[in-house]
Amino acid sequence: MRKLLAGAAMALMAVTGAASAQGYPDRPIMMMVSYGAGGATDFQARIVTMTAGNEDALGMPIAIINKPGAGGRVGWNWFATQAEADGYTLAAYNVPHFIAQSIKGGVQYSADSFEPIANWGADPAVFVVAADSPFNSMADVVAYAKENPGKLTFSGAGLFVGHHIAALQIEKAAGVKMSYIPTKGGGAAAMKAVIAGDVMAGVNNLSDAFRAREAGSIKILGVADLERSSFLPDVPTMKEQGLDVDNSSVNYRGIMVPKGTPQAVIDKLAEKVPEMFRNKRVQSKMKAGGSPILVMNRDEVKAMWAARQKTLEKLLAGL
Amino acid sequence: MEFIGYFGAVFEPAAFGLLLVGTIGGLILGATPGLSPTMAVALLIPFTFQLAPAHGLILLGAAYTSTVAGGAVSAILLKIPGAPANIATTLDGHEMAKQGRGAEALQLSFLASAVGGVFGVLLLIFLTPVLARWALAFGPSHLFWLAILGVTVIGSLDSRSVVKGLLSGCIGLWLATIGFDDIMGAQRFIFHPALGGGINIIAALIGLFAIPQVLNMFAKGRQPLGGEVIKVQPHSLGASMRELFRRPRALSIGTMTGSIIGLIPGVGGQIAGLVAYDQARKFSSERDKFGTGHSEGVIAAESANNAMVGPSLVPLLTLSIPGSPTAAVLLGGLLIHGIFPGPDLFNNYPDVAWTFINSMLIGQILMCIFGLYIAGLAARVAQVPQSVMAAVVLGLAVFGSYSVQSSMGDVYVMAALGVMMFFLERFGFSAAPLVLGLILGPIAEANFIQGSMIANATDGLAVYFFSGTLNIVLIATVVLSIVYSAWMEIRTRRFIEKQEAMA
Amino acid sequence: MSRLQHVIPSGIVALVGLWVAYISYTAQPAEAFLFPRLISTVFVVLSLWTFGKACLGWSRVGQGLSREMLVNLVPGLLVALVYIFWAARTVGFYTSTTVAFFILLSLYDPAPHSEVRSWIRRIIITAGFMAVMYGLFAQLLRVYTPREVFF
Repeated sequence: MRKLLAGAAMALMAVTGAASAQGYPDRPIMMMVSYGAGGATDFQARIVTMTAGNEDALGMPIAIINKPGAGGRVGWNWFATQAEADGYTLAAYNVPHFIAQSIKGGVQYSADSFEPIANWGADPAVFVVAADSPFNSMADVVAYAKENPGKLTFSGAGLFVGHHIAALQIEKAAGVKMSYIPTKGGGAAAMKAVIAGDVMAGVNNLSDAFRAREAGSIKILGVADLERSSFLPDVPTMKEQGLDVDNSSVNYRGIMVPKGTPQAVIDKLAEKVPEMFRNKRVQSKMKAGGSPILVMNRDEVKAMWAARQKTLEKLLAGL
Repeated sequence: MEFIGYFGAVFEPAAFGLLLVGTIGGLILGATPGLSPTMAVALLIPFTFQLAPAHGLILLGAAYTSTVAGGAVSAILLKIPGAPANIATTLDGHEMAKQGRGAEALQLSFLASAVGGVFGVLLLIFLTPVLARWALAFGPSHLFWLAILGVTVIGSLDSRSVVKGLLSGCIGLWLATIGFDDIMGAQRFIFHPALGGGINIIAALIGLFAIPQVLNMFAKGRQPLGGEVIKVQPHSLGASMRELFRRPRALSIGTMTGSIIGLIPGVGGQIAGLVAYDQARKFSSERDKFGTGHSEGVIAAESANNAMVGPSLVPLLTLSIPGSPTAAVLLGGLLIHGIFPGPDLFNNYPDVAWTFINSMLIGQILMCIFGLYIAGLAARVAQVPQSVMAAVVLGLAVFGSYSVQSSMGDVYVMAALGVMMFFLERFGFSAAPLVLGLILGPIAEANFIQGSMIANATDGLAVYFFSGTLNIVLIATVVLSIVYSAWMEIRTRRFIEKQEAMA
Repeated sequence: MSRLQHVIPSGIVALVGLWVAYISYTAQPAEAFLFPRLISTVFVVLSLWTFGKACLGWSRVGQGLSREMLVNLVPGLLVALVYIFWAARTVGFYTSTTVAFFILLSLYDPAPHSEVRSWIRRIIITAGFMAVMYGLFAQLLRVYTPREVFF
């Protein structure tokens, strides 16, 4: 009986879906962030959605709701299984995190469970050491790791997140064995471990590392991206230092909806949201906070997701 | 002494107005179960988009200060801690309220909060560079031992039965493992989809404390008018002040413990009150009175709570590392204005940084004044019949647990835990150790796993966890704490047996 | 209080402890269950100890349950459970809270049911509480709650 009712409701929704998208959105929208309040993703999500209520954007405010836990798995699981696909529940995505987690298994989502809307930022992983560390380049790090296999400890914000992908790529490219220490509590905890000397080095977000370097507590040895960052023009990429590391670990952040959201709603969001990200006030606040911006539209994000899916499947196959 | 020059900025009309709004709003939000300080500050962030940086931070700083203290109101009058920080306050505070001394308990808690709070902010002002080194000294092995020290408190938190206290703590430790394991990402004990995200600590806190309260009121049935009202006798402020300064030991233990523990990134805020309460009891000459509505319990717990506010910002302001979830939200408030915290903060943006810190100092005092006013009002408000109280608490409990992360799952968990706790409480189990287990479990586990990973890569487990001055000091404290508790247990048992023999 | 009253809850706790221990020692991946193993071992020991004490009639703390209490408790508990597990989600938070609040008040308010005055008083209290909740949370702070019917 229940199934029958649900089926009937679904059919009804399909019929009315096109019509209701006309007035969409007619009430405030909710956006789920799968990391805690105050983290980089949460902070940026709040900035990029702050103009949603403007007439030229969506015309309705977006409220951020945090569902943190287990490197994002808790929030995305909820989003894939329990969120209503009516266009009033959005979520922030972090690639490669959720794709890597779905490949590793044990979660109820994959790249096919979600529909991307648009991308707002790209935060590369960087390799950091404490300000008083003897390491001054990636070559120093690799040399130490070669002499002391498995002895070099370095932190990152959990397993199967961007930092871990970067760590795996660095180890593979240099052909060395190091000890990756995942921390609980995100990038901030991983950074604390580096500064306090609990570990010898770390992988962290470029935006957070940039701030910590300004504060004088760390050195940044390399960027895991294809090009140097405009925030850190003096820091060479991994490739420049002879390590074959591409941009697979770059933390792309953007907005997605659950599969099954009416096409008309997706189209409307895909049209309006990138404009919202390009808003001048948003851009200036993002720059002020040290957050690298990269606006991509729905088709570009789709292509990026597909590309990551392939590279990550290959990288994680051996684990 | 540079900070004195910036006091003027706090008293500008606009700034002072925001300070008042933040303080009063913070007290109300803090008194609402479920709206923890972190939530309250996060809710206010959008308002600061429109304000100048210094003004925005004044609002956030005032709100942070007063939500922590506001939690004491519901902890004392309703036995519902607004946030983990207020658990210890319920132990003696609510007992006092039951005896009609609610106004006194509130006055003491706000006065003690102000003393602790001002001390904490002064530490932040004068000792930040020294404290920053301290905050970083705690690595995974130290945090692990600190969590274990917290666990030893569990046994002595419930004086009626040590075994049942420890068992309650164990249940809490187990409940904390439900959900995704944070490091490996493996699923553990998820026997209902509502548990997929683990047990939210705030929702659990509301359920474990509020629901048994409500059910106990139901169980008393329709009582005749008059006999059912929680009375609050008016209490003179002067008497409360004298009481506060008659208890210098509890006040100083609370303030010191709060300041030191509040400093430690990731652990501090939640357990400062409980550790201070436990220490104050161990050093008190009237330790038997703890848990029966003793003023020292309230003083120690609340002074520790607010003493932690200042030092908890040290890692953020000096190293740009947010040491607590609330600090992380404040970091966001700084970043949207393009202000990067760090050692240069006070050189680059002295007006913003000092105005912010000064506003927290003034905020502590305003919080105390308005808090005392509330304590006076409480004399009237708390004369609410139990039937109304039960319905109000139930409504707030559902609202509070839902609003934490907008999830009905949390409400179900809250209710299930609450009903379970009601029955367990009838048989001598208690909620405080259970919640402590719930809080400490993840800290102990994550730091143990991290520590052992580092140890395996470097010197080995034994060296990593058992060497170094800080480790040894912490281990010694753990051992002393256990020995002391055991000794006290044996002594009181003899005492009771003697009494029973005489009776 | 009867010995049986202590045996049942401590028995249930002991069973839960055994179940937790069983899962901790059998589930995969083993490294994720290292900490649960540690806890569950202590859990089982302590709960069996408590259970043993209860069986021998040595349990002293706790007041237990009385028939009168349960009779008083059941109607309120049922209303609360229906409200929490069904109404809050299906009917909407503010609507269901209003109804549940009023029913509970009427169930446990000692004022005589036969007088009109006591009913008016109950309605006023309910309306006042809901107005404060709605004004503060829904209007001022815009906290999101489930809304299905009315508001």
